[in-house]
Amino acid sequence: MRKIAIALLLCSSVLLASPNKIPSVVLPGTSPLVTFRIMFTTGSAFDPSGKEGVANLTASMLAQGGTRSLTYDQIVQALYPMASSVSSQVDKEMTVFSGTTHVENLDRYYALFKDMLLDPGFRPEDFKRLREEAINFLRVSLRQSNDEELGKEHLYNVIYAGHPYGHHNVGKVSSLEKLTIQDVRDFYRTHYTGANLVIGLAGGLPKGFAERVESDFKKLPDGITDKKRMDKPKLQAGTRIEIVTRDTRSTAISFGFPIEVNRSSKDWAALALVASYFGQHRSSNSYLYQRLREARGLNYGDYAYIEYFPRGMFLMTPDPNLARQQQIFQVWIRPVEAENSVFALRAALYEYDKLVRNGISKEVFETTREFLTKFANVLTQTQSARLGYAMDSRYYDIPEFDAYLKSQLAKITVDDVNAAIRRHLKTDRMRIVLVTKNADAIRDAILKNTPSPITYNSPKSKEIQDEDKIIETFRINVKPEDIAVVPVTRVFE
Amino acid sequence: MKRLIALLSLVCFSAAAPAQQKDTRLFPYEYAIDDLDNGLRLVTVPTDFPNMVSLYIVVQAGSRNEVEPGKSGYAHLFEHIMFRGSEHYTPEQRDLILKKAGAESNASTNFDRTTYYENFSKEDLEPVMKLEADRFQRLKYSEAAYKTESLAVLGEYNKNSSDPTEKLDEALYATAFTKHTYAHTTMGFLKDIQDMPNQYNYSLQFYDRFYRPEYTTILLVGDVSREQALGLTKKYFGEWKRGTYVSNIPAEPAQTASRKASVDWNSPTLPWLAVAFRGPAYSDEKIDKAALDLLSPIAFGPNSELYQRLVLKEQKVDELQPDFGNHPDPELFTVYARIKDPKDIDYVREQILMTFERFTKEPVDQAKLDATRSRIRYSLALRMNSSSAIANVLAPYIGLRRTPETINKVFALYQRVTSEDIKKIASQYFLPNNQTIVTLTTKGATN
Repeated sequence: MRKIAIALLLCSSVLLASPNKIPSVVLPGTSPLVTFRIMFTTGSAFDPSGKEGVANLTASMLAQGGTRSLTYDQIVQALYPMASSVSSQVDKEMTVFSGTTHVENLDRYYALFKDMLLDPGFRPEDFKRLREEAINFLRVSLRQSNDEELGKEHLYNVIYAGHPYGHHNVGKVSSLEKLTIQDVRDFYRTHYTGANLVIGLAGGLPKGFAERVESDFKKLPDGITDKKRMDKPKLQAGTRIEIVTRDTRSTAISFGFPIEVNRSSKDWAALALVASYFGQHRSSNSYLYQRLREARGLNYGDYAYIEYFPRGMFLMTPDPNLARQQQIFQVWIRPVEAENSVFALRAALYEYDKLVRNGISKEVFETTREFLTKFANVLTQTQSARLGYAMDSRYYDIPEFDAYLKSQLAKITVDDVNAAIRRHLKTDRMRIVLVTKNADAIRDAILKNTPSPITYNSPKSKEIQDEDKIIETFRINVKPEDIAVVPVTRVFE
Repeated sequence: MKRLIALLSLVCFSAAAPAQQKDTRLFPYEYAIDDLDNGLRLVTVPTDFPNMVSLYIVVQAGSRNEVEPGKSGYAHLFEHIMFRGSEHYTPEQRDLILKKAGAESNASTNFDRTTYYENFSKEDLEPVMKLEADRFQRLKYSEAAYKTESLAVLGEYNKNSSDPTEKLDEALYATAFTKHTYAHTTMGFLKDIQDMPNQYNYSLQFYDRFYRPEYTTILLVGDVSREQALGLTKKYFGEWKRGTYVSNIPAEPAQTASRKASVDWNSPTLPWLAVAFRGPAYSDEKIDKAALDLLSPIAFGPNSELYQRLVLKEQKVDELQPDFGNHPDPELFTVYARIKDPKDIDYVREQILMTFERFTKEPVDQAKLDATRSRIRYSLALRMNSSSAIANVLAPYIGLRRTPETINKVFALYQRVTSEDIKKIASQYFLPNNQTIVTLTTKGATN
């Protein structure tokens, strides 16, 4: 396997691309597993207006529907003994079909995979099932079963209102209800083109296999590249809060704002370091976590991000192939007891404010840099992750991810990081989403700046008590017209 | 199918797998077991995935061990308390060491075990082992820290509480079990969680009982040698004192009649149904569990006739999945279904019950049985794609039998089980008096 690692490193920097060639990212190795990531650089940002959800439904029709020659249940039967599957993931600018199989099953698996993508059946029974599944996902699973993801996703909708990113990747309920099979066919014909295609393969590929895949996928029409420049959303100045109301025990909180930094930007490593220090995902090594959960017992965890990271409650590391031109800085406060809602929001904003004002220390900089430099190994542990990251690197036009992250981190100083904080972390256009049953009380407390003292079940240090005094009246500057109370039934509608 | 494993060993892990084991072992890695005098066991699995090491510490104590009334949720609480400092390390010092190691670190609790893990670069193995040894032997937390952490547990309950399936499970286990501690979920009852802040002394007792070498197995997987692993384990865990507590889990009396429960859910949801039968405990010797493991996907998995009908053809159900875990005591074989229209609840329940009954009367199709054996083998091969993934596959088996060998034994059973065996075993377990059915619907919705 050591040989493989070297092979991966060398090959990942060799991206096959010439005028008549389909762009490919190939990471050959001697593993008995073969991983596919077939990507189209299109996604929900290309949903036509009024047809929000068609990009996702098209991908579902391919990955969970029949081909022209096989019904979906026949495909399931055929995949069953191989323990393999074909998954689709749709984000704003990327759609990826992925799967891993044992090399012994490669021919059988690939025959199915290829037909699913190149010769879809677009059967009415699959369409009915998958459209209903998409609607139920928004209406039941997201609105009514997972307050955290609801809050996090709604924050994106609020920030990107009126922007191509302005709806959930799965769509809007009202649009999904009107979609037809013809919409899906049209989307497929227009966007599943050679111009949007990137082939990703990794593992124990037989000789000539990559060429075979490329030759098969040439069947797609050339088409036009979905290269749309995504602008930074134009937000009105000031803080705006949306309180989503539903009957729930606790209050979920998310806040954030757009940043002009993505993985290809000069300040990306500096901001990645800041997000890791302030709120490393699912780690007790997160400053916010230590202040809100460890010191005060407010909730289960508190994290910060500079890249889209859906399904974080189920994942320890992010899925690749969610690359975007535009990203937001985001803080995720896991549900708090209803009576602590305003205190928790104030505490998180207070800490954020401190971060922006004071920056980070040399010591914090050094330890976080050491962490991230090594943590790169954790992010790219599997063949599938390495392939995904390599394809994202292609998208961002940056070198291989591990090496890129490490070299960028090695270059920066604490001064660079603090300059990046000053440049990119703002408070003038903050967007806040709460999911709660106590909308009116929270709205009142924020507008009137009513103190929100907190009581604990154990003695606290003087430092915490003093800080709590500041937090309990920490002003959230927002105008009455900028706090909206939204019934959950309107979210994703 | 044996060729698959041989190939896996040969191509990928030739340095690790001795030739004579290639044809008989499903778990393809060479491993070493070392038992210390104090009862602690070390399992080392060197792999050729470079640079990374996964350290898993598996304690054979979960919510199953919570025998006192009013004390549900303590195994899980302990998973939290273990991050609250030890004699030589404050939580801040602990965090700093793990941060410098670039570690991914977390823990999980279920019915039967609590698992702590770190994935990190190999050069940090010694500081991480030293750190872990301190909290397992010399945990030190104040009452104030304890009380604060109990609130984080409540926070965890809160974040789960918007998911109706959490409540469905709570009702299912409370109905299916009357004496055995599987009656409460690992999270515990809300009233017990709310009482946790008052139970500092009980928490000390819990640690004293279960955080002992005889309950614990250290699993090291990755770029590590047996000598190195054993040396560090002896150095840092060698003085750990054996305990005296013996778990006495009340046996569940035989069920005599079918049971039902219903849950009213406060917000709009699609109805959920759980249809469960009392099933056998994990065994790598008797075929009962293995036979029903094979039946589970055949009867209820995505390629089953039932799934194809309810989900794909009739489209009355959008989720259908069987759940039949490996546990030291008899637990449940459950089928969960999310139904699109409340008026179909009765129909779906009958269809699920008829499917259970069907397999007590007719043998499974031989081709499907062969395909299922194939699926199980490839599934394992596909999952083991990094050192941490291998540790993740192993940890539950370590929790049950403290050895990876149990995987090979249970897979040997899968090879042996016949269609007739499955029918016979199904007819022993899928009886009306073994059955519990729970329905969850939106409050006020008509069934």
